Amino acid sequence: MEQLSNLVVSEGELGNIARVLGRLTLDTAASHVLLLDKSGQLIAAQGQMGQRDLIALGALLAGAFSSSRHVAEILGETDFRHILQQGLHESISTSLIGEQWLLVVVFDKQTHIGLVKVLARKAADELERVLERVRAGGGRAKEQVINVQFRNSVENTIDLLFQD
Amino acid sequence: MALINVATREIHCNIVYYGTGFCGKTTNLQYIHRHARPEARGKLLSIATESERTLFFDFLPLDLGAVHGFRVRFHLYTVPGQVLYERTRVAVLTGADGVVLVMDSGADKLEENFQSLIELETNMRKLGKDLGNFPFVMQWNKRDLPDAVPVATLDRYLNRRRVEAFDAVATTGEGVFATLRAICKSVMARL
Repeated sequence: MEQLSNLVVSEGELGNIARVLGRLTLDTAASHVLLLDKSGQLIAAQGQMGQRDLIALGALLAGAFSSSRHVAEILGETDFRHILQQGLHESISTSLIGEQWLLVVVFDKQTHIGLVKVLARKAADELERVLERVRAGGGRAKEQVINVQFRNSVENTIDLLFQD
Repeated sequence: MALINVATREIHCNIVYYGTGFCGKTTNLQYIHRHARPEARGKLLSIATESERTLFFDFLPLDLGAVHGFRVRFHLYTVPGQVLYERTRVAVLTGADGVVLVMDSGADKLEENFQSLIELETNMRKLGKDLGNFPFVMQWNKRDLPDAVPVATLDRYLNRRRVEAFDAVATTGEGVFATLRAICKSVMARL
């Protein structure tokens, strides 16, 4: 059985991801473009970050997407690959990339929803190729970071910070 | 799924607090939020119904700061406990790197606790994960109840795997950080 699975993103691949997200941000005039994993972890982000809490945003959007997948199941669909949350001033488009990741575009009313949908789909295809490479090749990069000394230091920090 | 971002030098792991309705999952997170060091704790986010029960999840990011140049974060989630929300529990479990099973020590809750454990095992199996080989700790909460079932009994019926288990009174904070430390270390050990 598969146990703890990690996604290890190298510098080179993060550059590839940033290029795709940057182009999408520019072409859609989005305020934010986020790449999340399905559990809500923020892998990369582009745009005017401002004071927004992107970590909370990631967790909530992933939760909403996960919930929508179960709605899809009840309807007999495999999943909804794209969901749109439309606000008065800003809207959010969330697209599934492969089976594991989410591409989120936050845009305002100046941008046409159709444009976001088409360009997000195109970017999602490109990102899927990069992310599959990341998933396949993370083992060596992980070993460089997570060693005995690192684990010991994290344990000491946990003891220090999480005290009664 | 733990995220190790070598480029931005960040590591993120997800921990899920699981258990029956009213067993004290949200209370654990609230205590951690109130008492963790300010530099370590993020904003506690709760999606609750009008009756203040958890509808989807509670979410609390904890930031350990930089360790060997890597910023380490644990994201704590709870699941809604009511039987009705099983699909939501599966959704939240999907991203778990570690699980805390919170058990209400009340005598009338033994059967419910047992069902919750069986459901957790089943859901983990559905997700392709074996609870026996996964970061997993238990918490015997509400030890201050007058009719609390003896720990030895809880251990015998609910902890067949003999995982680490902690006595707790989440309302006063007893055992809350001990549980948190144990699950965080267990996740790191298997990362």
